[in-house]
Amino acid sequence: MSLTGLILYGALPLLTLAMLFAFIRLVRGPSLPDRVIALDLIATMAIGFTAVYAIARNQPALLDVAIVLALLSFLGTVAFASYLEKRI
Amino acid sequence: MILRDIVTIVLIFIGTSFMVIAGIGVLRMPDLYIRMSATTKVATMGVGSILLAIAVYFQELGITSRALATVAFLLLTAPVAAHMIARAAYFTGVPLCNLSIADELKGHYDLRTHKLESICFPELELHLPDMQVTKLRIPTRSVVSGKTLAEIDLRRQFNVTLLAVCRGSHVISNPDGDVELFSDDEVILIGFPEDMERAVELFQTTVND
Repeated sequence: MSLTGLILYGALPLLTLAMLFAFIRLVRGPSLPDRVIALDLIATMAIGFTAVYAIARNQPALLDVAIVLALLSFLGTVAFASYLEKRI
Repeated sequence: MILRDIVTIVLIFIGTSFMVIAGIGVLRMPDLYIRMSATTKVATMGVGSILLAIAVYFQELGITSRALATVAFLLLTAPVAAHMIARAAYFTGVPLCNLSIADELKGHYDLRTHKLESICFPELELHLPDMQVTKLRIPTRSVVSGKTLAEIDLRRQFNVTLLAVCRGSHVISNPDGDVELFSDDEVILIGFPEDMERAVELFQTTVND
């Protein structure tokens, strides 16, 4: 099997499964911080997803998307955390 | 398949497995604080491995340096974000799972100022390992504020001894019975853990009128 085939039929479905697990945690909660870490994990997985897809499609430009996602997910988590702490 | 492709596949496989483990971890672990180890450590390892695969696969200076910079950024930011969210969760009262055996932060956070305070009496704990030393701030409108130590009678009622009263920067150590307590004073207590719990409860009871 070629590299592209292994990624498209091996890595991407597995990453989707992992995202699904994180999504179940996002829906179930139970507390707000639980949902925030689930969102953070989904963003981290999206970075991995984009990176793997960049290799499969031979498009290095997609790496920039992964970088932007990394920056945004960090900022999002920090913002969530500081608002949670200020709320009480 | 050339060597570059094999290394790329192995790195992607490692990264993807870690991602799946992180997903299972965040779903199955019993409380937030343990789930966090799955989302930060395991997921960072997974995404780092995948980004290394990019660096190996494309073999261009610009792409490799960007991939490595992203890995470094993730390694720096993941612990910061995790610490912030765990701290916020601890303040909002997210419970530990019932299998936890110790909460070492309990009583050390000042819930008003959000500062971590600890009183260390290492020698005291060495000599008296079964005793507990606690520092607590008397809340506004506590039932004990305005009363003297003789009126509260901690020693006889709770079997707890008051070592000192801190009022602002002023410390009244080894106070006698005439010393009056006010809200916002900080008291240092020593006693057996089970007695201490009841005494702390008294201090935190507020007048409801």
